[in-house]
Formats: sequence, C-alpha cells, structure tokens
Amino acid sequence: MSSAQIEIQLIASLVAIACAIPGTFLVLRKMAMISDAISHSILPGIVIGFFITQDLNSPLLIFLAAITGIITVVLVEYIQKTGLVKEDTAIGLVFPILFSIGVILIAKNANDVHLDVDAVLLGELAFAPFNRLLIAGVDVGPKSLWIIGCILLITIGLLFAFFKELKISTFDAGLAASLGFSPAVIHYGLMTVSSVTTVGAFDAVGAILVVALMIAPAATAYLLTTNLKRMLVYAICFGVFSAISGYWLAHWLDASIAGSITTMLGLLFLMVYLFAPNKGVIAVLYREKQQRTEVSLLTFLLHLRNHSEEEERHVNHLNEHINWQKVRSKTVLELALKNNMIVIDNHIVSLTEKGKDFTSQALDYIITNEDSKIEHMKDDFFLFRG
Amino acid sequence: MDITEYIKLVFTDYTLRTITLGTAILGAVTGMLGSFAVLRKQSLLGDAISHAALPGIAIAFLITGAKDSNILLLGALISGLIGTFWIRGIISKTHLKSDTALGLILSLFFGFGMLLLTFIQKQPNANQAGLDKYLFGQAATLVESDVWLMSIVTGACLLVLLLFWKEFKILLFDADYTKTLGFNTKFIDILITTFIVLAIVLGLQTVGVVLMSAMLLAPAAAARQWTNSLGVMVFLAAIFGAFSGVFGTAISASQNNLSTGPVIVIVAGVFVLISFIFSPSRGLLFKQIRFIKNRRDLQLHKTLSFMYHIAETHENISHPHAIKILNNFQGYTKGTLQKLVRKNYVKIDGSMWSLTSEGFKTASNLYNQQTEDNE
Repeated sequence: MSSAQIEIQLIASLVAIACAIPGTFLVLRKMAMISDAISHSILPGIVIGFFITQDLNSPLLIFLAAITGIITVVLVEYIQKTGLVKEDTAIGLVFPILFSIGVILIAKNANDVHLDVDAVLLGELAFAPFNRLLIAGVDVGPKSLWIIGCILLITIGLLFAFFKELKISTFDAGLAASLGFSPAVIHYGLMTVSSVTTVGAFDAVGAILVVALMIAPAATAYLLTTNLKRMLVYAICFGVFSAISGYWLAHWLDASIAGSITTMLGLLFLMVYLFAPNKGVIAVLYREKQQRTEVSLLTFLLHLRNHSEEEERHVNHLNEHINWQKVRSKTVLELALKNNMIVIDNHIVSLTEKGKDFTSQALDYIITNEDSKIEHMKDDFFLFRG
Repeated sequence: MDITEYIKLVFTDYTLRTITLGTAILGAVTGMLGSFAVLRKQSLLGDAISHAALPGIAIAFLITGAKDSNILLLGALISGLIGTFWIRGIISKTHLKSDTALGLILSLFFGFGMLLLTFIQKQPNANQAGLDKYLFGQAATLVESDVWLMSIVTGACLLVLLLFWKEFKILLFDADYTKTLGFNTKFIDILITTFIVLAIVLGLQTVGVVLMSAMLLAPAAAARQWTNSLGVMVFLAAIFGAFSGVFGTAISASQNNLSTGPVIVIVAGVFVLISFIFSPSRGLLFKQIRFIKNRRDLQLHKTLSFMYHIAETHENISHPHAIKILNNFQGYTKGTLQKLVRKNYVKIDGSMWSLTSEGFKTASNLYNQQTEDNE
C-alpha cells in the first residue's frame, strides 16, 4: 500500500465517522431527508464562496456553504409553518430550487469557475491526496484530511458534551423542554453540525455519499439495536468498514470510490435488512407466520370446546367449515398434537385436559382483557414456537 | 431577440419546437401525477425514484451495449419500481420510518449507479459517451421520437386517470373506506405509483435525476393553493407544469450557457412563490390582510363596548361625553371614532361624543350574536 492509498482510506474512514454521529440522531429524529436537502442546497453557498475565496478548501467557503445549509432548514420550517403544504413537500420544493440556482451560477460563470457540478455531487476521493496542506513550507498531509479531522474532533467534542441533552430531546422533546433544555438550540445545533460535515466532506467524497454515509450506517445499526450508545458504535463501525472495503472494491473495479463505498453500504444494509435477528425481514415474516398459526390454533381449540357433536369435530371438517386450506389445517393439527392439546381418535378430534385448561385461560383473557393474564399467555405461546 | 421573433422561431426551428413541445408535455404529465404524489404525502418519493432509476440506466446500457433511449428508460423504469417497492418493504416490515427509507434507497441506488457509470466509462466502448446526461438532463438532446413517446405516455396516463378517476380520488382521501367498499386498493395503489414512476423516468433525459422531484412537486404545490377540488387541482397543475416547460425553454434558449432543466425548475418555483403569496383563500398576502382586518374590527368593537359601559350609567343613552376620556383607552384612535360616526353608532358634537340608539343596540348585542354588517 502506498502512502496515498493509506491517506485515502484514512480520509474515507474519518468522513464515515464524522457522518455516522449526526446521522444516527437524524435517523432517530425522523429527519433523514433533511440531510439530503442540505447536501443539494449547499451548492449555491459553495459557488458564492468560491467566487470570493477562489479556493475550494478555504474555511470561509465552508462557513458560507454551512450557512446555506441552515438557510435551507429555516426555509423548510418556515414554509411548513405557513401550513400551505406538508413538510415533505416543503423539503422537496426548497432544495431543487436552491440547487438550480447553484447550477445556473456555475453555468453563467463557467469561464471563471473551476468548479464542476459533478465534482460537488460526486467528489473524487482519488485526487484528495494531491491537495497538500503546507505549513511554513512543510508538507503536513492532505488538506481534506485536516479539514475532516477538525470537523470530526468538534463533532466528537459536542457529542460528549451534550450527549445527555441530545438523547433526551431526541426521544422525548416535551420532557427535554420541561427540564429546561431548549429543543430549538439542540435542533439547530444538530442541523449546523450536519451542514458543516456535509460541506467539509463534499470535496473529498461528494454530497451524495455524505447522505449515504449519514443515513445508511445509522439505519443499519437501528435494525440491530435499540440502545443509543450501541447504535452509535455500530453505525461508526459499519461506516468505517464500508469506507475501507469500498476503497478496495473501487481499486479492483477501477471505478468511482464514492460509488463503491455507497455500494458496500447498500450491501451491508441489504444483509442486515434480510437477516437481522429480530427486525430483519426474514425474522419478521417468520414471526408473522407463527402468529397466524397460533391464532388459527386458538380458533380451532375454541371451536372444539364449543362443539360436542361429532360431525363438527371431524378432521375433514377443518377444510370444509372453517375454510382453511389443507396445508394450514395440517400444520395446526400437528402443532396441537405435538403439544398434547388434542387427541385424534378415528378422525374425530377431541380436547385433552391440557387443551381444555388452555382454552379456558384463553377465553378468560379474551373476556377480561387484563394485562396480568397476558404474561401468562406469553409463556404458553412461547411453548408452541419450540 | 424579441418575443414575436422567438414565437416565430418556435414554429419554424426543428430543435426549438421539439424541445418546447417536449418540456411542455413533460411539465403537464408530471404536474398531473404530481398532484397525487403531493396529496398522498409522498412528495419525496419522486426524489427517491429519480435517483433510484440511475443504476437501471447503467445496467440497461451494460446489457445491450447500445444507447437506445427507449431501452435505457425501460431499465430506469424497472430500477425505479424496485426502489419504490423496496421503500415500501422497509416501511412496512421494519421500524425504520419513511424518511429514513427514502434517504437510504435514494443514496444507495444513486451511489451504485455512479459506480456502474464510472465502471462503464472505463470500458473500451465508444458508445458510452453522454450517459451522464441523465444526471443533470439535457433538453437539447430531445428528438421527435422522444416527444412522441412522451405524448403516448401522457395520453395513456390521461386515459387511466379518467377511467379510474373515482377510485384514485377515494383512495386518496379515505383509504380505509375504499377497502370497505370492496375496491382492490393494492391494485389502484400500484397503478398510480407505476404511473408516477413512469412520468419521473420520462423526465430524466430532460431535467435529470437531481431536479426531477421539483418538476413533480412544484406545479402540484402551486395548484393546491388555488383550489380545494381534486379535478381543478390536477388540471391547474398540468397547466402550470406545461407553462414552466415553455417559459423555461424560452428563457434558456435566449441566453448563453443556461441549461434548460434548472431554468424550468426555477420558473416552476416562481409559480409556487406567486401561488403562496397571492392565492385568494390560502395565500400569505390575503391571510395577512384578513388578519389585520380582524384586528381592526376587534378594536372597533372594544371601543364601542367601552362607550356602551359609560353610556349605561346614564339614564339618557345619548348623554354627551368628552372625547378626552377615551384617550386612555387602548385601541382608540381618531380613525376608529370616525368609523363609528360613519356607521351612525356615535354622534360627535364639538369635543363631545354621544351614542346613538342604534349604536347602543349594537353594543348591547355585541357579544350575543353575529352582527351582519361587520367590517
């Protein structure tokens, strides 16, 4: 590995960490789309900043672009407050218009601006190591490494300083306000950090990857845990893993680094989305199927309890009268037999003692609808899953 | 170039005519379908779908190796639909919220699309140049066959809209009720979503991935301000969309270095701004005017009721009082006094005022009933 390669991976990892922290809170606060809006609408800020400074890495440019980000948030909230359109429409209106202004500004001044819309949206991480920061003539490393490093340090500092406030205002804004933390300050603080991170990272990885790095690791982590600290740690790990593996994927395919990092994030999310232990799609579908069977079983047992006449308790009756398919009636019968709820004697089904007990408990719960009965039932239902 | 000359050019110049027609039709169809997206609170779906279409374009190119725009659009349509249904899957099967699902699919699909595009660029295939026009759109690349395709889709969309109008409408406003009436909500839902995706995909070539969502939203959001009827809203949105296309094309054609897509979006944005401010029933301007009027009305009533309380203490209600005693009363101005005089509630005689019997009657009933001759 050459030193340029190490530097690229280092920058990508730092960006991933810097994005994962505000991203986690954005996802939890249901504001993920705001990050997308910010990433687009900083364009006019960058262009105007570039006119003034003529340097893509100048702090003034980052400052101006971050202000555009805040303006976006304020505008969206203002339009939303007028009640003329819904919040999502407000977001969808503001950022394309600001983005269009940026594109037109670039196009009108194409001769003086060495700035490309592609570059802003997509970035080019591969060139990042060539832009060195010289302090008193000494090469101290790539500029973007320093910029993103500074942003990351500030983000981590703010996270540790205001972790409690962030946590409480995210999960219970009303409580936070009544305890004396201003939700508005925390809200705009978070927006500022997101905007600064987006601006700081766009040069290296492009605005779209920033959105991906903010939302995807946090969403993936959210499927695996409900603990905020753990979610933050998972999100950071996923981000860094994708950054480094994405770099090597790009190296191998000879394609855009930002694109391959996003692709790795996508694959990671797909895996977790399908296979997460409790909240993955497969787990959810399995649980839904189990619940369906359990409900069927309960209906079946109650039916048996209510009918003493033999023709109502014949095995074939399941298909005819309760309108179940063959497969389903077979699973239900087997499940009931396995748990010794019923006995089948010459195709006539009858309840055992255990089955009777169970149905009376179930009836009891259905009639009283008391919570204390649920706990008990949960244990019983758990039996069937085994 | 003056306007008449430009209009003449629109009818004679092939390129300009194609682009103007294309953007107008595109604006109309996205405006129509955008109305449904806005009312269903799926405004950002457009943004997500347009980004999600990118890998489809790239894969279609990788498979066929040709740059036939119909096949590329087919790829975009498939990939956009996959993105849409994945978003639904995430929302319904996990606890992730809709904004996270949208942002996730948007950025992940777009990133994957970029990976494919850069991968294609490295391939030794001379055909690949120009695929990136789908990113930001290039109206100038529109040809007559594209316009035909757009017209056909718009016609189909109109037909379906008219055919399923009642179903769309009822699903929009009361989904549960629709289900109880026995309509197949899933089918209607998929139908309208498919058409929204189709309209977005059509616009990719003209305005590009990034700005497509504004094409969908802006005409609809503007139309929403003028009416409460769905039919009128869809119609207005189509008109706004079409005019954004025509004006946007005209402005960008008359200037150098001005790409059409962003200009159309900004024109549509101007429509929205005007609608937000000047719409008679919902607009900010008239809302503010009504607000000020109500405040004045209230002040007038306050002054009248204050006078009433003074007059009450005298046997003769028309007993004159000095104007001076009103001075300490908040809400009193010379203007309000004049207004009361004009309404014949109060008589002024030099520096004295007195309530008329009409004024007394109005004041005593002020908080009991709605007077009809309010300001």
